[in-house]
Amino acid sequence: MEETQNIDVTKNPEAEDAIESTKQKQSEEVEHHCDEQQKQSQEEDELRKLLLSDIEELPLSPPSATQLNFVSYFITDFTKPGHDHYIYRHANGLCVIGLAPTHRAFKDQGGITNIDFNVGKSDRSVLKVSGKRKKNAMRSESNTALCKVSTANDSYIVRCCVKGSLLEVNERLMKQPQLLNSSADREGYIAIIMPRPADWTKNKESLITLEEYKEKKQDILLEPYFSDIPHLRRLALMSDLSSRIVSQIEYYFRRIRAMTDDIHLILRSMGSSTTVEVQVNS
Amino acid sequence: MADETKPASGDSAGLSNGLVSHGDHKSRRVYQAARSLHSGAVKDLLSLGVCERCIFRLVSVEAFDSDLSSVSASTLRSWLESGDEEAASSEESSCCIVCLGVLQFVFSDAKQTLVRSECGSDYAARVTDLVKEEGHEFDSFGLEVYVPATILENERAVLLYLKGKYNSESWLQSEKISVKDALKVLVLDPLKVSLGAKSDSSSFQIRLTYSKASDEAQGASETTRERKKRKTDEENGSTSMSENSFEKVYEPCILSIHCNKMPIFFSGRYFKYSRNVSQTRWIIDDERMGEASVEELIGGNILPACLGDSYKFHAAGREDIDVRMLGSGRPFLIEVQNSRKCPSQQSLTEIEEKINKSEKKLVGVKDLKFIGSQCWAMMREGEAEKQKQYAAIVWIARPVEEKDIDSISSLKELKILQKTPVRVLHRRSPLERERTIHWMKVEKIKGSSHYFLLHLCTQAGTYIKEFVHGDLGRTTPSMGSILGCRAEIIQLDVTDVKMGDS
Repeated sequence: MEETQNIDVTKNPEAEDAIESTKQKQSEEVEHHCDEQQKQSQEEDELRKLLLSDIEELPLSPPSATQLNFVSYFITDFTKPGHDHYIYRHANGLCVIGLAPTHRAFKDQGGITNIDFNVGKSDRSVLKVSGKRKKNAMRSESNTALCKVSTANDSYIVRCCVKGSLLEVNERLMKQPQLLNSSADREGYIAIIMPRPADWTKNKESLITLEEYKEKKQDILLEPYFSDIPHLRRLALMSDLSSRIVSQIEYYFRRIRAMTDDIHLILRSMGSSTTVEVQVNS
Repeated sequence: MADETKPASGDSAGLSNGLVSHGDHKSRRVYQAARSLHSGAVKDLLSLGVCERCIFRLVSVEAFDSDLSSVSASTLRSWLESGDEEAASSEESSCCIVCLGVLQFVFSDAKQTLVRSECGSDYAARVTDLVKEEGHEFDSFGLEVYVPATILENERAVLLYLKGKYNSESWLQSEKISVKDALKVLVLDPLKVSLGAKSDSSSFQIRLTYSKASDEAQGASETTRERKKRKTDEENGSTSMSENSFEKVYEPCILSIHCNKMPIFFSGRYFKYSRNVSQTRWIIDDERMGEASVEELIGGNILPACLGDSYKFHAAGREDIDVRMLGSGRPFLIEVQNSRKCPSQQSLTEIEEKINKSEKKLVGVKDLKFIGSQCWAMMREGEAEKQKQYAAIVWIARPVEEKDIDSISSLKELKILQKTPVRVLHRRSPLERERTIHWMKVEKIKGSSHYFLLHLCTQAGTYIKEFVHGDLGRTTPSMGSILGCRAEIIQLDVTDVKMGDS
């Protein structure tokens, strides 16, 4: 093999030259291409530096979008004792309504199992609001019924709490009512209402702030109860600092839960009736 | 009669006993036309108080043309009056009852001084002075004339009277040129000369607006009674010019001149380096939101260079106040109203440098240049079909794992459904919009297990922040739902706005 190659080389010096120069050109091109790539990656590096230039320190747990953009209000024992709701008001005036962690419904075993928007005179989930002017929105008073949530034992009427136009109800809850148990303050929100400025000013008087809410509902917040995730949420509220790492705790807690379920499976298969429990103490 | 070797001045006021010396063929034409008019009608109109040029307009068979421009009113008058060889009247002619002095080249200026001109070129010189005061640079212009409605009404009354008296005369049947058009015919050529510009339907308009002097004082025109009388006169035809069928105006009109240049456009790309600068001026309750605006930083520098009245800012898309615009920049247009001059490319480059080198480094500009009518096509290119690229710093509730990086990068052309985000729901329709995330890339950030840098390329109109944090579950799928945990967006930057070829 090599011999053949050698012969080739010695036989055609001109060809050799030609090959040489082509090779040179090729390597020049490769170099040029490398240069361009280098330039490109240099630009990318600069961009990356720029992208990361702003962050001084990344906090362990940053405030959520809800905390940043909304002001939290609460209304407690609305029309009935234990009917506690939150009203998150955006800077643009819109209000997100939902169940506060101390709502009676969460105390029932099994938590909330069902939600029905067909209350009052119409089914709130079929209303179609359209256009910038929010045509066809239902005008509601603060005590207008929004929906009915049911647990194993009981059912509770949830009301609007705010006077205004009903823009939207969270129809995802109909298929996934457990969202109310796991994240009532985010994906488990119930409705979005748009109050008129004058109505809001009046309404605001009957609402309380987060601090006031914590104080008022201290006992309930410290009470142990059945469903685990909202319990953590209450603890977070009470201890104040961990409201920001609640979701991290939730994640690890869920992991632990999954592991304990696995342990249970093993124990069952071994014929044991031992149980494993995880407790969170404040 | 004619001394054809005399130089052409056209104006013979001052020569003895009405004998005219007309040095050029133009004045001779006018003279001959004047002599050929129906003398009875001419006499009637003169005694009514109609001016010479209006008489020409209304009684002549030949078309009214610019030759009349160089003949003074007094000369015209002497030619019109029957060959009794009366001396040209030297009295100050009163205001024409039809054109209110417009065609007599008489007007009151802004300072309420009476301005009289003998001929078209004299008038043009006065107008030129006023135009020059506005300061525009131009090499072509369009001329617009506005006259008070009374002129039309009075003309109608006079024509009615003529019809009543000279019903079947041939000269009465032809279409009469309006006062507005007549003025344009008379002064357009002299204006072209004295302004040193061409005339066309161009981007620069000179508007001559005549308004009644008495309007200022009273603000009323015809009373109902006058209107009714005029109507019945029209129906019956009248042989007399009754007092109430036309409005007597004793003072010449006020002339105001307004020059307007059509808007000019500049294009370029801008960068936004600050998270406290909005794209356009944003003011709530008398307070400015943010430190400054891209619109003002760029437009505020271009406007003085154009000596314009105002500007408008148009951009191909927008970003939030707390989102930086990096990478290739976002295309924009600056529209300047009524610019007095057009800055050179050199000045534009200087403006670009000034903005880029400014101390605060809030905004940057590139490729700033003058652009013509194709500007809107260029803007539209950047709209709905185009893709945008972003870089976001994302936090998740659990540590980032290798499988996350892989699972995200493997998602191509991901379709998401976004309900109108809560933060804009107050001003936009509640809709569910389908959008596509074309690709995503995850980069770990040194020293942090919960944060990562997310590069993504999406369809125009995608709400990135909501895609990351899920907007209370109203955007699905979201970063959080894909990774199975809570996700928040810490900061967002636009890294590319793809526009056609650039």
